[in-house]
Amino acid sequence: MHYSTKKWLAIKCSSVILIPLMFWFIVNLASIYDESYIEIVSFFSKTSSKALYSLFLIAAFSFFSLTISEVFEDYVKNERIKNVATKILYVFAIVMPLITILSIFYLN
Amino acid sequence: MYEKNPLSPHLQIYRWHLSMILSITHRIIGAVNSVAMILICLWTISLLFGEENYEMIKILFQSFFGKLLIISLSWSFSFHILSEIRHLIWDLGYGFDLKISKITGIITIIGSLVLTVLIYLLGKNLI
Repeated sequence: MHYSTKKWLAIKCSSVILIPLMFWFIVNLASIYDESYIEIVSFFSKTSSKALYSLFLIAAFSFFSLTISEVFEDYVKNERIKNVATKILYVFAIVMPLITILSIFYLN
Repeated sequence: MYEKNPLSPHLQIYRWHLSMILSITHRIIGAVNSVAMILICLWTISLLFGEENYEMIKILFQSFFGKLLIISLSWSFSFHILSEIRHLIWDLGYGFDLKISKITGIITIIGSLVLTVLIYLLGKNLI
């Protein structure tokens, strides 16, 4: 299978996974954003919240890194800059959700 | 010669129409949501610094600006969800007819506003 086909499939798969998780997260965020620290920590302490939030972060960062790399593909002409930018993007898309997921497991 | 070619999607050449506006908005919202995801991560990580340090963020969220931020985020997520569903339907080979494409475009715009209200009301247990 061609690299571009694999990438397109990865974007579509992450999109299908992301849609329901995005809805779950935004409804819960609207519910807790102005609550006290204790309430927010208690939300993230639930096993279901931890699991769904972790999945949401993985799906979101996978989707956004793949689609932003498509934007680089379209608008960055210099191949070297494009490759470096894409690599930095992919590293960031792994490190950022990883630190966040670890932080919710350290919360209590 | 190649360097002088206009970049896709040729904004300066074609007459603006709904699908074009939605395509551009989809990309902009995608970028906005990427930044929002980073802020969401930082918000989550900030919880590690304890209750006292969280006070500032709590005050921000309880202000008018905080409400506006959450409503804006609800809209950008809603738009992204509906626009992405529209793209997935296209990927399955449906909805390419110009009339249907226009209808699904209008549904995406109006639907995102309706979904924003629904998300906020659901979140606040008002429905």
